[in-house]
Amino acid sequence: MRTITLRPLASHLVPIEAEGLTPDGLAKLSIEEMEALDLWLGNRRTRLCELFAIEVDGKPAPIEETTVILDGDFSRVKRIGERMSGGMIQSLGDLGMHAGAGMSGGNILIKGSAGDWLGREMRGGSIEVEGDAGNYVGSGYRGERCGMRGGSILVRGNAGVFLGEHICGGSIHVSGNAGDYPGAANGGGTISIGGDTHLPGAEMTKGSISVGGRTTVLPGFQFQDEVELEGLTYQRYVGDLVENGKGELLLALAQQSA
Amino acid sequence: MIIKGGVVYDPANGVLGEEMDICIDAGAVAEAAGGPTIDARGMLVLPGGVDAHSHIAGPKLNAGRIMRPDDGRIGTEPRRGLCRPCTGYTVPNSSAIGYRYARMGYTTVFEAATPIIESRHTHEELEAIPILDKGALTLFGSNWTVMECVGEKDLPKLSAYVAWGLRASRGYGVKIVNPGGGEAWGFGSNVKGLHDPVPEFNVTPAEIIHELARANERLCLPHSIHLHFNNLGKPGNYSTAIETLDLLKDIVPSRDRQAVHVTHMQFSAYGGTGWRDFESKAPEIADYYNKNDHATMDMGQIIFGSATTMTADGPLEYANARLLHQKWSNHDIELEESSGVVPLVYIRGSPVNAVQWAIGLELALLTEDPWKVLLTTDNPNGGPFVKYPEVIALLMSHKRREEEMAKLPELLSKRSVIGSIERELGWGEIAVMTRAAPAHVLGLKEKGHLGVGADGDVSIYEIDPREVDPGSDPALVERAFTQAKYTIKAGEVVSRDGEIAGIPQGRTFWTDANVPEEDMARLMASLKEKFEKYYSIQMSNYMVQEAYLSRPVAVRAGVEVAQ
Repeated sequence: MRTITLRPLASHLVPIEAEGLTPDGLAKLSIEEMEALDLWLGNRRTRLCELFAIEVDGKPAPIEETTVILDGDFSRVKRIGERMSGGMIQSLGDLGMHAGAGMSGGNILIKGSAGDWLGREMRGGSIEVEGDAGNYVGSGYRGERCGMRGGSILVRGNAGVFLGEHICGGSIHVSGNAGDYPGAANGGGTISIGGDTHLPGAEMTKGSISVGGRTTVLPGFQFQDEVELEGLTYQRYVGDLVENGKGELLLALAQQSA
Repeated sequence: MIIKGGVVYDPANGVLGEEMDICIDAGAVAEAAGGPTIDARGMLVLPGGVDAHSHIAGPKLNAGRIMRPDDGRIGTEPRRGLCRPCTGYTVPNSSAIGYRYARMGYTTVFEAATPIIESRHTHEELEAIPILDKGALTLFGSNWTVMECVGEKDLPKLSAYVAWGLRASRGYGVKIVNPGGGEAWGFGSNVKGLHDPVPEFNVTPAEIIHELARANERLCLPHSIHLHFNNLGKPGNYSTAIETLDLLKDIVPSRDRQAVHVTHMQFSAYGGTGWRDFESKAPEIADYYNKNDHATMDMGQIIFGSATTMTADGPLEYANARLLHQKWSNHDIELEESSGVVPLVYIRGSPVNAVQWAIGLELALLTEDPWKVLLTTDNPNGGPFVKYPEVIALLMSHKRREEEMAKLPELLSKRSVIGSIERELGWGEIAVMTRAAPAHVLGLKEKGHLGVGADGDVSIYEIDPREVDPGSDPALVERAFTQAKYTIKAGEVVSRDGEIAGIPQGRTFWTDANVPEEDMARLMASLKEKFEKYYSIQMSNYMVQEAYLSRPVAVRAGVEVAQ
C-alpha cells in the first residue's frame, strides 16, 4: 500500500489544472519526481511542490494499491483523477471541476462537495460525494454525443442542472434534489433522484430515470402503468416521443400528491 | 540547396527509383546549385505532395468547427517552437492544416469548393494556412446567372460569367456540385436525374454540366470542370455517373489534360436499390475509365472513425442528418448554392461503411492507369487528410487489406470484389497518384515533378524503396509517409522529422481569364439587375480585392489565349 497526501500551501483564486493528480500518475514516482511534476496555475506553468505540501507513506506500488488523499480546499483545482484507471482518491474537503473526467476504474470519495462536470464521460469505477455536486454530473462535454458510459456516481446531497446529459451507460444516484433537465438526451444510462427535480428526460431515447420527489413531466412522455419498486409505487412513462424514444421515466406516487 | 544521393521517383519525367542529386536554386529545381547539402542516401525522394481536392477553408469549415467542439479537443497541441497552438482532427484550425500537411510531405493543397459570395472568407482562411501553396475552386453548378445563360443557350455570356466569377472569387477553376440540386433545395427538393428540370429554371443538370464544360474549354482554363455528380451518396447512383461521363465525350480539352475531373468517385459508384442491397459498382466505373480517356477522378476513400461531411450538396446533407440522426448545419447561399455540414462516424461493423471502404480502394486498384486516379479522402468527408499514409499502405499491400477485411462484416465479400484484387501499387504509382497526377489534373506545370524549372518542393522519406517490400511491410510504409524526414518548400526546409522548421507564406493560384468586351458588357447589364433586386450586398462589395491575397499567382487564360 502507498498513501500520498497533498495539502495546499496557500489558497488560490486562479484555477489550477491538475490532470496528473491520479493514482496512475503518482503510483510509480519518487517524492522528488512528484515535486517536479508540471502543473498550470492559470496561464503560468509551475511545479507541484510550489503549490502543495507532499507527504508520502510507502514505497512505489501498483496503481490499485495507491491512495491519494487531498487534505484541504481543492475547490479551485480542476481535473483531479482525470482518466484514472485504478486506485483511490479521497478528498477531505471540496473538489474542483472535471473531477474523475473520463475515468475507467478506481474510486473517488469526496467528503465535501464537487464542482461541475463531475465524472463527465467516465467509463468505469465509482465516485461518491458526501456533499453536493455541481452541474453536468456524468454528462458529455460540449459537443460530445455520449457522456458517461459506465461506472457509478453517488451524490448524497443535491446536484445541479443537466445531471447525466447524454449519458449512455452506468448509473447515477442523487439522494437530494437535482436541477433542471436531468437525463437530457439519455441514451442508455440509469439515473435515480431521491428528491425534487424539473423536466427530466428531455430527448431521451433509452435508459431510465426515476424521481422520488416532485417533478413535472414533459409532454413528450406517455403514461404506461403503475409499478412497484422497493416498496414504492411508481407511475411509469415512456419517452421522449419527440425523439421516438423508448426511455423509461418513473415517478414515485407517494410524493406526487404531497 | 543540394539533395544528395536519394532514391528519386519523378514519374512525370520518367524517373523511377534512380539514385540522383536534386539541386534547388532560387526556389526552383535547377541544373546546379550551391548552399546547404542534405544527405538523402537510402531515402525515398519525391516531388512535394499535391492535394487537388480537400476542404481546408471557408465558412463551411467554421460551421464544422463551431458544431464540433468535441472534434476541436482531439489533436490539441500547445504552442511550441515556431508553431502556433493546434486543435482539431477532422476540422483542425488553419495553422494545424498547414503544419500537418507539411509534416506528411505535402506542399500544395486546393480548397475544393467556394461560393463566390463567400470567397473573401475563404481567402482569409487560406492566408492563415502556413507553408502550403493553395488555390480554391469556385462553385458554379446551381448559380442563377449560369442557369439563365444555359437556358438562353448563350455560350459567350456564360463564358464571360465564368471568367468574371473566377476573378470575383479569385478562384482557380470551375467546381460543379449536384448541378441544379442546390437551387432545387431552396424549394425543399432535389433534382433526381440528369434530365430532371431545375424548379423555376427551364434547364436540366445535363445542360448545366455540358455548357459549363464548353465554357471551361472556350476560356482555355488550366483545370477542367471539377464535377460532383448528381445523386451522389445514393444507392444505385453509378448509372448517373456513367450517363454523365458519356455526356461529356464530345468535349474537346483546350489544354493537354482531361475534359472532366470527377471528384470523390467513391460516393458515386454505388449499386443496389437501397441500403439493404447496397453494393459496389466500382468495377463498372473502373472499366469505363479503362476504356475512355476523357475523364479523371479522385478516390474519396473513407477512413474508419470520425469524419465531418461538408458539401455544397444541401439535400444530401439533409438526408445524412436524417439517416444518422446527427447534428446538421444547413446553409442557403443567396443566388449561388446551398450547403450543409453533418458530422459522422464510419464504423467497421456497418456493412454499408465497409462496402464504401472497399469501393474507394477498388476504384484505385481496378483502374489500370494511375494518372486517372488521385489519392484523396475528400478531407474531411471520408476522413481527415492525416490518414493518407494509411490509404497508401492499403494500396501498396494486399496483406494490409486482408488484415483490415478480417475486421469487417462477412457480407463485404458478396457486395464487393475487394477480396479478389491482388494488385499492389508500386512506389512510382503512388508518386503519380499523390504528386504528378494531381498537378497534371489541375494544370499546374511547375508542380508534381522535379524537372529543371519546377518548384523546389521536395519531400524526403526515411525509407529505402530498394530494400523495403511494401507488400509485406505495410507498417513501415505507413510510418514513413506519416512523417517526412524532410519537407522542402521552394528550397526551404519546412519540416524535419515532424518538427516544423520554417513557416513561409504560401502562394495562392487563381485564374485570370479574358473575354471579349461586348460579352462582358452584356453580362454586366444582367448582373447589375440581380444585385439591385436580389443580392444582400452591393456589387462593389462583392469582389475579392487583390489585397486579400498576399502572394497571388494569376494564371493567364481566356478566349484570346485559346485562339
